[in-house]
Order: sequence, then structure tokens, then C-alpha cells
Amino acid sequence: MTDPGLANVTYIEPLTVEMVTKIIAKERPDAILPTLGGQTGLNLAFFLMRKGILRKYGVESIGASVEAISCAEDRELFKKAMQEIGVDVPKSGIATSVEEGMKIGLGIGFPLILRPAYCLGGSGGSISYNKEELEKFLFKGLEASPVHQVLVEQSVLGWKEIEFEVMRDCADNVIMITSMENVDPMGVHTGDSIVVAPAQTLTAEEYTNFVNLSKKIIRRIGISGGGANIQFAQNPDNGHIVIIEVNPRLSRSSALASKATGFPIARVATKLAVGLTLPEVMNQITGKTTSFFEPTVDYCVFKICRFTFEKFPKAERILNTSMKAVGEAMSIGRNFKEALQKGIRSIEISRFGFGADGKDKITDEMLKHPENGLMKLIKDKIRIPNDERLFYIRYGLKAGLSTNEIYKLSHIDPWFIDNMKELIETEDKVKKFRNDKEEDEIKINADLLTLAKKEGFSDRQLAFLLNSKEKKVRELRKKHNIKAVYKLVDTCAGEFNTRQPYFYSTYETSEEARPSKNKKVVILGGGPNRIGQGIEFDYCCCHAAYALKEEGIESIMVNCNPETVSTDYDTSDRLYFEPLTLEDIFNIIEVEKPIGVIVQFGGQTPLNLAVSLRNAGINILGTSAENIDIAEDRERFKQMIHKLNLLQPENGTAFTFQEAKEVAKRIGYPVLVRPSYVLGGRAMEIVYDESTLERFIKEAAEVSGEHPVLIDKFLEDAIEVDVDMIGDGQNFIIGGIMEHIEEAGIHSGDSAMALPTFTLSEKILSQIREASYKTAKELNVTGLMNMQYAVKDEKVYVLEVNPRASRTIPFVSKAIGVPLAKLATKIMLGKKLKDLGLTQEIVPKHVSVKESVFPFNRFPGVDVILGPEMKSTGEVMGIDSDFGRAYIKSQIAAGQNLPKKGNVFISVRDKDKRTIVFLAKKIKDLGFHIYATFGTAQALEKSGIAVKVLPKLAEGRPNILDLMKDGKIQLVINTPSGRIPRQDEVKIRSQVILYNIPYTTTISGAQATINGIEMLAKKELGVKSLQEYHKKLKTQNSKLKTKR
Amino acid sequence: MKAILMLEDGKIFTGESLGKEGERIGEVILNTAVVGYQEMMTDPANVGKILVLTYPLIGNYGVAPKFNESKRVWLAGLVIKEKSRTYSNWQAKMSLDNFMKEQNLVAISQVDTRTLTVHLRQKGQMLGIISTYTNSPKELLSKMEGFRKENSVSKLSEISVKKTVRLIKGKAKYKIAVLDLGITQSIIRQLETLKFSLALLPYNTKAQDILKLKPDGLIISNGPEQDKGLEDVVSNVKNLINRLPILGIATGHQVLARALGAKIIKMKLGHRGVNYPVQNPACYKGEITVQNHSYVVDQDSLSKVKGIKITGYNLNDRTIGLALAP
Repeated sequence: MTDPGLANVTYIEPLTVEMVTKIIAKERPDAILPTLGGQTGLNLAFFLMRKGILRKYGVESIGASVEAISCAEDRELFKKAMQEIGVDVPKSGIATSVEEGMKIGLGIGFPLILRPAYCLGGSGGSISYNKEELEKFLFKGLEASPVHQVLVEQSVLGWKEIEFEVMRDCADNVIMITSMENVDPMGVHTGDSIVVAPAQTLTAEEYTNFVNLSKKIIRRIGISGGGANIQFAQNPDNGHIVIIEVNPRLSRSSALASKATGFPIARVATKLAVGLTLPEVMNQITGKTTSFFEPTVDYCVFKICRFTFEKFPKAERILNTSMKAVGEAMSIGRNFKEALQKGIRSIEISRFGFGADGKDKITDEMLKHPENGLMKLIKDKIRIPNDERLFYIRYGLKAGLSTNEIYKLSHIDPWFIDNMKELIETEDKVKKFRNDKEEDEIKINADLLTLAKKEGFSDRQLAFLLNSKEKKVRELRKKHNIKAVYKLVDTCAGEFNTRQPYFYSTYETSEEARPSKNKKVVILGGGPNRIGQGIEFDYCCCHAAYALKEEGIESIMVNCNPETVSTDYDTSDRLYFEPLTLEDIFNIIEVEKPIGVIVQFGGQTPLNLAVSLRNAGINILGTSAENIDIAEDRERFKQMIHKLNLLQPENGTAFTFQEAKEVAKRIGYPVLVRPSYVLGGRAMEIVYDESTLERFIKEAAEVSGEHPVLIDKFLEDAIEVDVDMIGDGQNFIIGGIMEHIEEAGIHSGDSAMALPTFTLSEKILSQIREASYKTAKELNVTGLMNMQYAVKDEKVYVLEVNPRASRTIPFVSKAIGVPLAKLATKIMLGKKLKDLGLTQEIVPKHVSVKESVFPFNRFPGVDVILGPEMKSTGEVMGIDSDFGRAYIKSQIAAGQNLPKKGNVFISVRDKDKRTIVFLAKKIKDLGFHIYATFGTAQALEKSGIAVKVLPKLAEGRPNILDLMKDGKIQLVINTPSGRIPRQDEVKIRSQVILYNIPYTTTISGAQATINGIEMLAKKELGVKSLQEYHKKLKTQNSKLKTKR
Repeated sequence: MKAILMLEDGKIFTGESLGKEGERIGEVILNTAVVGYQEMMTDPANVGKILVLTYPLIGNYGVAPKFNESKRVWLAGLVIKEKSRTYSNWQAKMSLDNFMKEQNLVAISQVDTRTLTVHLRQKGQMLGIISTYTNSPKELLSKMEGFRKENSVSKLSEISVKKTVRLIKGKAKYKIAVLDLGITQSIIRQLETLKFSLALLPYNTKAQDILKLKPDGLIISNGPEQDKGLEDVVSNVKNLINRLPILGIATGHQVLARALGAKIIKMKLGHRGVNYPVQNPACYKGEITVQNHSYVVDQDSLSKVKGIKITGYNLNDRTIGLALAP
């Protein structure tokens, strides 16, 4: 959205009342549209209204009026409004203190749901079953709520959760976009739930009831030019309906509803917000009807979430009302079974459907006569919502649990469970044709094979069940002419002849894809968002589509992530909403016959498929699969570095602990160990001694399977550098050199970075440039490439080369004002850098800082320290004329509320004690008071800095935790003492998250923060648009050119 | 058991037999609603039709007597994609299977209803035959030809109430006479919420008998569109024009238009679903409506009728959705 091409003026500034006020003062808009930016946008508008900013500048809130926002968001007003129109709400009360909350809660009775007001994604929400929990969660919830309010509510756990997407225009026309039914009943945040659209188990009468209620509600809330998401709970035993909440804005569910029906909710909502009516907005999909209709579908849509519990091993692996998913995938099928299996394939958890793919944790053998322990585990996993529940339902059914028993445990509607049971039955039928030997001919008959495909079984699953190869199953299918056909998502169930080519695959009798004879290119998208792969890659895929359009080549997008722009039907010429697996991609390629496939932009997902695609004779555009392999293959990479005369940290590989020990001894501790072929630094760790190494090798070996463990010399305290490049095979240009703010050892996806660099010497920079050009040339880079370096003792080491778009491409593109991904696409089609007008590296005068955003507040008790394993789920950008301000903006944008005065708590490890002295002096000079732990205090006092010493947690009170609770600490600087941190530290750091106190866990982060606070004290932050920065860059460049 | 659906133009769809075995011929119509299969099956307006449901998952919430729109299923046949093996809803009393068997309905599942829908959209509505007996195309085609030539009989006497039925709930504001051409329970329920006392009259109630009741208004109900008996209803209604306020619903609307002298014409593909926008040409306000018809009032002929004001157009194709007579 911050792409400068999307709006006339684009501000990349922190989303705070202060900054937005400045933008309003500068731009003097007539209106603001706060309903498209999620809860963040809505909250901003609300606070802008409260502070009188909107009135002062005469700005109207459109899409949802401030009254509508208040009515939906203020629990008390909402409850009153609903009662007024006769809509039931769960029994509840608002608590502004723990005492009040206890009284309300005990009055209603357990279990209770607690919801903090004005919180994003239900953070701080919880369920309490007893007095003790109620007290604990009340306290937490009150803290989490920006207005210090918690709703204590009657639990409707286990009730059906039904959602409606509703739109209303200023002429009072109301339409339902779609109904959605959560497969996971009430108790699991809808953002974490498996969801189907449309609702599957409602009668026509119930459906009509919901529609009538939705109309009443949207009218009463007062949305008169936009959309809303309405969530209901329905008692499955008697049909009683209560309303849970209304989002008077576009939400995650709206995105899903848009992709599920083909109705562009955001586009239409914006038009309604500026005063158009539904009959005036055309339906682009049909091209001849208007948006005043209700989409209807002839397929089943399935949404499933992507979780990252493996990244937070200390977090409880359960789902509740606080959202934990980091991404989602959507799938479409002609029945629930097909959509379910495609959905599981889509979330890329190395599963190929609803089990039966050789990757089940619990084998059929064990399930035949399950032991008591196993049965208990299965029942628990079905009863308590968790990310693996689907698979445990499968185990439960296989172990003989009935549909009804599973319903009783999970409250998942029996209709869904029975559909899963059907899949198991088909699986058993297929298994009867199992080969004795893998190389045997497959014996399954065409009818059963067709049935299995109609139920969504992948060739991979069938190969496993039949003891054969995926390729053989595919050949057999072709022989019987059982192939995927593509059907349109057309908003009208086939009633009208539509022209938007938006497809999903299924096994039916006729093909609707009707591919053109034009030159075309397939772009493989990034799949669901996850840690390590997010919308950065979607940005690149979209730009690839724009570039193709400009070059007159048809673009074909393949992706399954409903949260993305790439899956908007008008981003590309043709859209295939499909899982990104080989089978699904082969099917599309067979129908479309493109001139090539772009795998560089979707992150690791498509890159992992590159070699298989090439081996199948498919043309990979850009850098060759061969050269991609050189960069990915450890040995070949080493040879290349050697050949190019570059430095690499000493390293080796090992399959066993013995081998690892020897490698580590040879290169010396500390070493960085990691499994090969993983993304986002999974299971990567810095090891300082042999005993830790042993434990670690075990863990790493588990992650990477038959692949070796990689061991590198860890360059302590080195500065890390990221370089993004673009090349046309002959010429190569650096897009940006970024200096990490945190020292080496922290995953590049988690560290903050600055462009241009801020401490590196010209000499080092020229070494980095030279190494980058050499490598790009050697790999014949055609498109994008990313390199990572470590700089230590004036030496430059190459850490990694990725011949693909990196996570930082959108950041660099926005910083330097050049759409790198777009240019790279044109290069892959044969253009040269010169033709594209990019002739030299652009080093901007302004500074851009990228900072990462972490999900720690969703995983209570998890330590917040950073390491080589990536943990961030998003990022923000801060731009200003100098480093200090840009950094501060990035911190504010990431939610750190940096203080101008108050108390700073410092506790650092021994190693950092020298550096902290200088910083502490500065902190004092800025007028802050310092609190420190004993060791740190000693070091500071020696240098004549007065500090207050705090006792260890166990040794006296008030301790640091008490001070934080009382709001006496405004900033925490705490560097971890070692691999296994002390208990005190972990407690301090997790409390920091609870109270939302700004913190840093690295010395370099602390330096940048203090530096920024100093800047902030001198002068207030200003705002400037991206277009203004880019305009300046252009003059800067042309001056450079004339100089030469 | 296998079954096939063959269209008049020779196109064949295969599937599995559901409900009763047998052979049925009827005009093939599409409905795009996601829910409401039981209501559609029991709607008298669908008498003699072969109904195709475009939503692929049918039977999910079972069947309950309270959802019947009339006393029985009137369809000639039903065509669906997937029949749910199980059903789940607190109100359900039986499965769709058993209901179909009980109602002697011939149906076919596992049909590629999407392809069928696209085919009918392109070619227009036509006759079809569902058969579990034979799949000889020639035989089936000749049966459809025979059906076409056959003189159809009016179903109105079967569908309509046999004698006047009075429905009074609570204190009524208005006394409304309803000429029953196949009214559905859901319309009756809606009228009741308007505080009307209703007198359901047999379809052939004479004009003077209606006037004798001194109703505040007359509603000519929905029902089958192409029925032979409608001719007489139209001439009867002519005698009521300007004698009392009349509202025509669906087929009743067509009857009223014809009584006023307008013509009705058949559309290539009917409007059948729950998502049709009807907008008042004088403003931006409209309603999303439930529709179930293949014929519309011809605009040219209607515009020749004096004093007519069209108050609602179907926004999708600008056909007449509502018209107001003086």
C-alpha cells in the first residue's frame, strides 16, 4: 500500500495521533478513510476525533462515522444499541478495575470471556474458568486495553460461530457479501479458526434470520457508506443467536470474503465512502451488472491458518481468543472435502492433504489398537483447540471414535467431522490397491481414482497410499484422462457470462480456462504469510505482474494467500487461486503453456520448486536454476567463494555429533550451527561450548532430516550488511547497501537496518561493492540477488547469497525510489539495465531505517531476546533526513513509545559494561534517572555515574517488576547474559511486553535509541511524503550525472 | 444406481440416482440460492419442473416439516452435485434422501451442475429428462418430443385451496383476499406479520364472489407460470380492475398485467435465486429480492396501458420487477 504508484501522495510515517495530525495539518484533506487499515486505522480516527483534531481541521471521517465507530467499539454503547433493536448479546459487564471485574464475573458465572476494549486481533483476550484465572486475566486485560476497559462476558464456548460480511450505502441499500461459518466453534479467535464460506449447516430460515439481524445491526450502528463484519454465536442445541461483535470496517474476514466470492469489497467500500450508491458501482467481474446484488457461489471455500509455534517452543501450543496465527491460506473446491485437502496443501506445513501422505505422527498401525496413553492424547488434542486439531480428529476417527464422540469433545459440527470421515473411508478404499513393490504398475481403477481426485487427494497422497511414485500416479491419471479443470469464480454461480479470469481447479467435466494464444508468463506467489516470508514477497510478485502488463505480456498469477494484493483478480491478467505445489503448478502450466515461469519473487516457496520445474522442461525466467543451485548448495558455494577470492567465515558440515565436534574444534568456538535447507533461520543457534553443541546437533538433525548440519565460525560483534542487487546478465547495479543496527548473530529478518550505511568506512564499502559485483557476474544474475556480509576487524566476509528477491526489496525500492522488482521482471524478459534507465547505484541523502515487529505479546512468557532464528512477523520503515530521526520513527512505528524524560532501567552482561558507561552518561545528560542491577550499577558508579541500585527479584522489594507495574520505568536496556538466560532477566523482559515499555536487548539498539531520543529532544519530528523524497533523489542524481 | 439427465438438445449428463427410481420429463430450471432446497422443492410454482441447484452441497441441514412451502413436493425432478451423506441441524427431522423417497421424487446427484448451468445459460431453458431406466439417447429424445406435443393439463385445481380458508391471527388491520394460485407458506407468514386477516380463495373464485367479501384489497398469489388454467384467471381478474386495490406477486403479477392488457414474454434464462436487485427508477434505493420466474411483463405492451407506473426494475437486466396500477 505504501508503493508510491498507488496514491498521489504517500506518507511512510508512524501511525500515531501526533504524526497523523501533522500530515493533516500539512495536506488539509477533506476527509479521512479509516475503515480500510484494520483496527489501527479505526483507533487512530477515534483518537483524532477525541482530541478534536478532526474538528479543528474540518476533516470528515468517511466509511464509518466517528459515531458508528464508537457504537461498535465502545462495549457499553454497543450493548445498549443491540438491546434497543432486540438483538441478544451475551450477558456481560464492563470492568475498569480488577475488583469491578471480579464482581461482574462472579455474577455471571464461569466460564467467562474477557475482552479488552480497542485491542487488535483480540490481544489480551482470554477465557477464565475460575476465580484465580479471572483475577489474573482481568489484570492483564486492563493493561492491554489502551482505554483501560475490559468486557467480562458470559461464555458461549462451543456455540457455532457465524460471520456475515455486510455493506450499506448512503441510500440505505444493504447487501450481504457472504456468510461464513467457523469450523472451530466459539472459543477460538476467528483469525485462528478454520473457516468455510458460505455457511454449511444453516437452514434457509436461519440464514434469513441472520440476514435480517445483520441488516438491523448495520443500520443501527450507522454505517452508511462502507462495510462491516458481523460475528454471531448460535447455540447448536436450540438455535438461539447472540451477537458477538461488529467490526465497522474492513477486516481480515472482508479480505477472505472478497477472494471467496470475487466481490471486491474494499474497492466498493471506498466508492460508497465517497458517496456513491451500490447501483452506481459496476460489478467488474460480470462487466454488465452492478454491485447492487448479493454474490452467490457454486463452490466451497476453506480458510486455514498458518501458525509458528515451533518458533516459540516455550509457548503453550493452544488456541484461544487471543489470535496467534501469522498467516492464512484459502482454497476452493466443489465440495468441502476437496477444499479441505487443498487448504492443508496450501499452508505449506509439509503436508499434502488431510494426512495419508507418509507424514503422520501417529501411524495406522498404532491406531488400530490404541493404548490408553495415546487415546488420551488424541482426545485432549481434539478437546483443547490447537493448530494440529484437524490431524488429531483424523487419528481419533481412525482409532474408532465416532462422529458424535468427536463432536462432544470439540463441538465441531458433525457435518464437518463426517466429511472428514468420508476422506478416511476413501483413503481405505484406495489402500486396498496398494502395491507390494514400489516399481509395480498401479492397479487402482479409474472410478476410484476419479473419486479420490474429486475429494481433493493429491497425487503425492495417492502415491503414498498405493506405494508408488507421484509421477506414476500422474501418468496413470493422464492415461485415464482424469485431469484438473479450471472453473471461474464469477460472483453469480454461472448465471452470467463473466469476463474476469479468476480460476480454481477441480475435477469436473468441462474446462472454463480457455487460455489465450498470447505470450504469457506464470508468476509463482509466496503462499501464506509466515515468519520469514511475508508480504514483502507479494509486493515483488505484484510488481512482476505490473511489469508484464507494461511489456504487453499476459501475466498469470498463482497464489493461495487471501491477504495479498497478488490475489486481487485485477492485479494480473489471469489469477489461479491454487496451492503452490508441483502437482498444482504442473496442471496450470499444462493448460496455459506459458513461455516461462518466474520463481524469483515469491520467496523460498517457488524457489524450492525451481529445480523440479526445470527438470520437467519448464523454462525458468531470470537467473538459471543451475546458478540458483550454486548459491544454495553449500559445497558449490564454497568453491565459488574460493574462486572469486572472497572471504567466508570458516565452516564445515557434519552428520554426527562426532563430526560436528571436530569441525568446531578446527574452526574454534563460538560457532553457528544450523540445519541445511531451512528458511528464517529455523533451529539456528550460536554455540559457545561442546556440551551445548551436542544437544544442539540432535535438535538440528531433527529439523533437516537427511541433510547435514552446517557449522560456521561465528564472528562475534561483527557488523552485518545486506546488499540487494539487480543484474541483466552483463551489468549489475547495487540497489542498496544496508547496515544492520544489531550486531552479527541476530537473524537479518529481525534486525533493524539503515540505508545508507552509517558507520562503515569508504574502504569497507568499496570492498563490499566489489565482492557483490564479482558474485553477481559469476552467477550471471538476471533479475534480483541479495547478499549478506559480516564485517569484522576491517575484513569483509560473505555470509550468504540468495539469487532471488529478498525481504528487503520493497524497503530498498521505496528508499531509493526505483521499483527494483518491476525492473527485474523486464530484465528477465530480455531488457537491459541501460534500456530501463538504471545506470548507477543510488545512495540517497535521506536515511531509511527498517525495523522488525515481533509477536511476543501473543506468546505470554516467551523471552523476547533476538537470535539467529527469525521471530518477527512484520516490519516498519522510518524515513528522515538523518539516522537518529529515521531510527526513532521506526521505533515509534513499531509500537515503542519512546520517552523524553523519566527513568531508565539498565542491566547488561559483563561484556557490554564498558560500552554502557558512555551511553549511561548520555542518558544522564538527557535528564533521565537510571536504575540498575547490582553488577551494572557498580560499573557505572566507578565512572562516576549516579544510579539507583535495585535488588534481585528474590532479594527484596520494591524490585524492578514493581517499578514497571507502577509505571515508573520508561525504558529498559537489558542485554541477555548467555544462551540460557537467568530467570530474573526473562521475567523482566516478558513484563516489558506486558506493560508495553520500550526496550532494547542489544547495545547497538540501545545506542541508536538514545541517539534518537537526543534528536527528539532537540527538535520535533516532521513529516514528508515519499514522493517528495523521491523528487529530491532525482535532482540529486542528475547533479551527480552532470558532475561526471 | 446410475442415472442420466438428457436435455432436449441432446446433451447428456451422468450421475447417481437419488430418491425414487424412474423417469421424469420437465423444463430444466436453475436456482442459484445456497440454502433453501426444501422450500424450492415444495414451492408450487415449480410444479413439473426439473430443478437444478447450482450450489454443490445439498442436504447438509436435513429436512423438517416446518420448512415446507406447501403440502408436498411439486417438482418433476431434482438435479444436484453432491448430496450430503449426513445432516446436521437441531431442527432437522429427517434426511433429504428419506424425504425424496417419501415424496416419490426422482432425482440425480453427482452431476457437473456448473457445466449444466453454463450450457443452459448459453442455450436457454429447455426440456430435460431424468432416467434411471435407459440411456438410449434416441429413446429419451423421442420421449421428450412426445411430451412437448402432449396437451398439458392445468395443475391449479390441485395446487390451490379447494375452498376458502380464513387465516386470522390477532387483531387485523386489514381484510385481504388472496387468490391462491400456489401461494407459499413463507409469503403467508410475511402477510401475517403485516397484521392482515387473510381469506385464501380457490383460484377459480368468481370476481363477483370476491367483491362480495368486501375485502380491503386483493392479492393474486405466486404459482406456476405456464399453467393452462391461468387464461381463465386473467379474464376473471379483468372484472376486478378498478374495483379494488390489487397486488400481484410473481405469477399473480403477470396475471394482473395481462388483465390490464399487457403481454408477457419468456426470458432465455429465468430469474431464480435470492439475490436479485430491484431498484426504484425514481431514486437510488432498492431491495435485494427472491425471484423465481421465467416470464416477464413485456415493457412495450405495458407502456401502452394507461396510468401505469413502473416502480421497480431488475437492475441486472432492466426487466420489470414492480409495476403500479392506479
